[in-house]
Amino acid sequence: MKFNVDKPKPAPSPARTWELIAWTAGLFSILVGLVMVFGHLQNPTLDPLKSPELKENKTQLRENPLDETTKQVIRDLDLRLRARYFRQLSRVQTGTYLLLGGVAVFIFAVARRSAYSRQLPMPGLRPNAAAEAAAMAVRSRWSVTAGGAAIAAFLFVLSLGFSTVLPRNTGEIKKLLGAGETAAVVESDAASAEEMRMNWPQFRGYEGAGLSVSTNPPVAWDVKTGAGIAWKTAAPCLGFNSPLIWGNKVFFSGGDAALREVVCLDLQTGQALWRQAITNVPGSPANPPEIPESTGFAAASMASDGRRVYVIFANGDVAALTLDGKPIWSRGFGALKNAYGHATSLTTWRDRLIVQLDQGETEDRKSKLYALDGRTGRVVWQKDRKMGASWASPITFESAGKGQIVVLAVPLIMAYAAADGAELWQADLLNGEITPSPAFAGGQVIVASPSDKLVAIRPDGAGEISKSHVVWTNEDNVPDVTSPASDGELVFCLTTSGMMTCFDAKDGKKQWEHDFEFECHASPVIAAKRVYFTGQKGVAVVVEAARQFKESFRTEMGDAFHASPAFAQERIVLRGVTNVWCLSASAPAKAP
Amino acid sequence: MIRTLHGDGGTLVAGLPPVGTFRLRSAAARLALLALAALVFLSAGSVSADNRFPPPEFETGHQLPTTTTPPARSLFFEYVDLAVLAASLGVASWLIYRKRSRRGLIALSIFSVLYFGFYKKGCVCAIGSVQNVALALFDPGYAVPLVAVGFFALPLAFALFGGRSFCAGVCPHGALQDLVLLKPVKVPPWLEQGLSILPFIYLGAGVLLAATGSMFLICQYDPFIPIFRLSGRTLMVVTGAALLLLGVFVGRPYCRFLCPYGALLKLAATVARFRVRVTPDYCTQCRLCEASCPFGAMREPAANRLEPRELTAGRWRLAALLLMTPLLIGTLAWVGSRFSLPASKLHPTVALAERFVAERDAPLKTGALSPDDLALDRARQTPEEIMTQAVGIRRKFGIGGWVFGGWVGLVIAAKLISVSLHRRRTDYEPDRGDCFACARCFEYCPNELVRRGLMPASELPKPKTEPAVTI
Repeated sequence: MKFNVDKPKPAPSPARTWELIAWTAGLFSILVGLVMVFGHLQNPTLDPLKSPELKENKTQLRENPLDETTKQVIRDLDLRLRARYFRQLSRVQTGTYLLLGGVAVFIFAVARRSAYSRQLPMPGLRPNAAAEAAAMAVRSRWSVTAGGAAIAAFLFVLSLGFSTVLPRNTGEIKKLLGAGETAAVVESDAASAEEMRMNWPQFRGYEGAGLSVSTNPPVAWDVKTGAGIAWKTAAPCLGFNSPLIWGNKVFFSGGDAALREVVCLDLQTGQALWRQAITNVPGSPANPPEIPESTGFAAASMASDGRRVYVIFANGDVAALTLDGKPIWSRGFGALKNAYGHATSLTTWRDRLIVQLDQGETEDRKSKLYALDGRTGRVVWQKDRKMGASWASPITFESAGKGQIVVLAVPLIMAYAAADGAELWQADLLNGEITPSPAFAGGQVIVASPSDKLVAIRPDGAGEISKSHVVWTNEDNVPDVTSPASDGELVFCLTTSGMMTCFDAKDGKKQWEHDFEFECHASPVIAAKRVYFTGQKGVAVVVEAARQFKESFRTEMGDAFHASPAFAQERIVLRGVTNVWCLSASAPAKAP
Repeated sequence: MIRTLHGDGGTLVAGLPPVGTFRLRSAAARLALLALAALVFLSAGSVSADNRFPPPEFETGHQLPTTTTPPARSLFFEYVDLAVLAASLGVASWLIYRKRSRRGLIALSIFSVLYFGFYKKGCVCAIGSVQNVALALFDPGYAVPLVAVGFFALPLAFALFGGRSFCAGVCPHGALQDLVLLKPVKVPPWLEQGLSILPFIYLGAGVLLAATGSMFLICQYDPFIPIFRLSGRTLMVVTGAALLLLGVFVGRPYCRFLCPYGALLKLAATVARFRVRVTPDYCTQCRLCEASCPFGAMREPAANRLEPRELTAGRWRLAALLLMTPLLIGTLAWVGSRFSLPASKLHPTVALAERFVAERDAPLKTGALSPDDLALDRARQTPEEIMTQAVGIRRKFGIGGWVFGGWVGLVIAAKLISVSLHRRRTDYEPDRGDCFACARCFEYCPNELVRRGLMPASELPKPKTEPAVTI
């Protein structure tokens, strides 16, 4: 065996060492970079929101909102996708650190290595330096001119493609908003006032006075024989809101934390025409708020403008549906802060939906009044309200030459212009927890301040009118939950304990009072010179709408009533806890 | 042992610290460098993932983070940052003027990249602080943070005395670009002059948008912040990677052709009390410093005497430019006033008002809404209030547009005049405004090598006795 001992291997030079380090760091960085690029290309659709599988499952759920299996699949998939996404983010970050480290070592090693083979520059003589400098100055001027021209052209071209829809000065803003208003008036996609009167488009009917134009509603009916009862159907869902009637359709809402829906029944037969779940509402809170069972998610009544029906739930979800139940739009206002749950009903003015969201305490500054475009759900105007929670519902009416919205919340009765939300007048007259809604009848707004006084106001003032426009007040038997009903001549109030009182609408003098001695939550309604009302435990009563007390009819329905009755086409719809009832004078008794 | 400075070009310069320039010996190595740079560029795309998207629409096991914005830096640490900045500027000035040490500036650059860049995530930075100051000047309701004022004023104050010591090794943006400069390529001077107006125009745009409360344009489109934060929008991550890739060959492309704060420092450095001098003694006219500067900042001695014909033409040209200046400013001011309309749409309130008017008859969006979709609801203001504000802001933009356009015109006119002036210069010396004080040229100067004891004085060429330039 022969060993080469004469030629020992030379020790590596520093230059060679730095070269090796540079190659190693470079290869390492390339490897890391390749892995990152490969990982990025392998998972191009990591974003959980873009997962086709998730989208497909959500579509399935939209078609079948009660499918618990699909819900669970979505939950699991969402969690899995998000976990994968953040794992990938974490990997990318680690990779970036490694890459930066590798590149830093590479740069340092290359710089060190280059020091061993660096060649100094070899500047030669420049005999034409002056001429070159002059030529360079000429080229520089051209360069600056070209650059400046390019920038100027860029700015100019950029300004060509832009226009603005905003007015030039603040004076034109009102004009612009007003132009929309004029257009809304001209092109209002809503039923006429006459149609609204003929139907029952909202809680307590058109203008909220609890007054029906029906001339021949049933004056008596018999639960046992079925005489006067057109149909009765089991209540399809849970909810305390009052039904509304448009044409041959009865609408009401129901639901709980899991599912909220709108139900439509045939006014003639009581058959369910459709049921539409309100799901996938943009802006809806992920966690439904805690609502007391005594109020529930569907205490607020729906409203209709004759073209669409609108619904609101206690979680702040608002939706519009066609009369055939097709969803048009929906939007979530977020969970509403209300100790008893949200109960303020919707109302409409032309094709605008009025949403009163009084909530929290006064200092929370969370209360708002919205006018939404009924066709699109867009906010036409909105007003901050410096009040806390309220449970009364707004009413809309035309008076003093303009559309007015009257809303109640301690301590103010406030009127807004329906057109643009301008504050018209206010009266500092309210105390306690405001639940009864105002009524507009005989040119007066009648408001109950619970356990305090009943007030009648002329709605043609401006500013604070509590001293100038109050027509009368009366402190007898003021209702605390139900709302007053009035035909413009008389006012009827019903306390929770069942005490009914009749007042003269002109001067507020009490005409009579009668204690029915049963609990009432539903508000009375006047139709054909009669007052109809139901007790919480199922008693239904009809009294004459006259200056003398006369009970016309009383019966036990065998149901419980929280919702107020709806009247249209000579029929009365009562929503009980157990059943939905339709009363008609022409309904014959059923054969035994 | 130094053999010669004007030798055969293959001389090993022992004892000198490594500088940015080098030669890779093989084509394979060059290819590897390019491949690595390209790969870094490509892999940048994978760090552009967004950490924020809507939370689940229902309960899952996923735990949402409690906050989505980083906590504010405590006041104490803000003072610490200011102290570190002041100390760094002092050290940089000392390294440039007293030690004349490139090695020291490299060490300071590494520190700045790590501290002001990666540790502080690039914020507050002097470049962005221009906008804080602009907003504070035009919006009395804005309380400008002291640290922002400090970061704005300190480098400027140092520049007024000693040139761009901030750029030399304190600014993390500049330091990062300086550290990756491996194979410098000279940008033709005419192109350099043409591009050098961009930082001033970018500065004007940044001030306009900040003063109107629209946005901090310079921060939002800062290409290096995503690198320091290791995350960001795809556009900016790719731009940052592209600029770094470019910076391997073109010295400090962002600093020279974009940096708005650099534009201010350039103005301050032009009138600085002290200036960087290449030679510690006399200029040997060896031109080594000119070759060493990767930023095109070295100026050669001017011609001895201008020909009478050249002088007359030059005077006429200057007079024409001076006469043209008001016209240029006026024209560009008009262009700027037209530009104010699209620019105003960058203001969130104007954009919101425009959207309100444009979309009020459109159907609502369905499905999960983005924060942008919910902007009008979240504004907690009536459309009338928003529109009133928008009209006021647009009025400000109207005035700002005229001023901005006029500024652009002034910049172009001033640059044209600047490149038309003949300056007397006897030695090779760095341009006061353009020099980043990186100290590369020092160690190329034979007199500096003599000062450091690396070369005998006897090998130096003799100084010229006559003044090189007259006019």
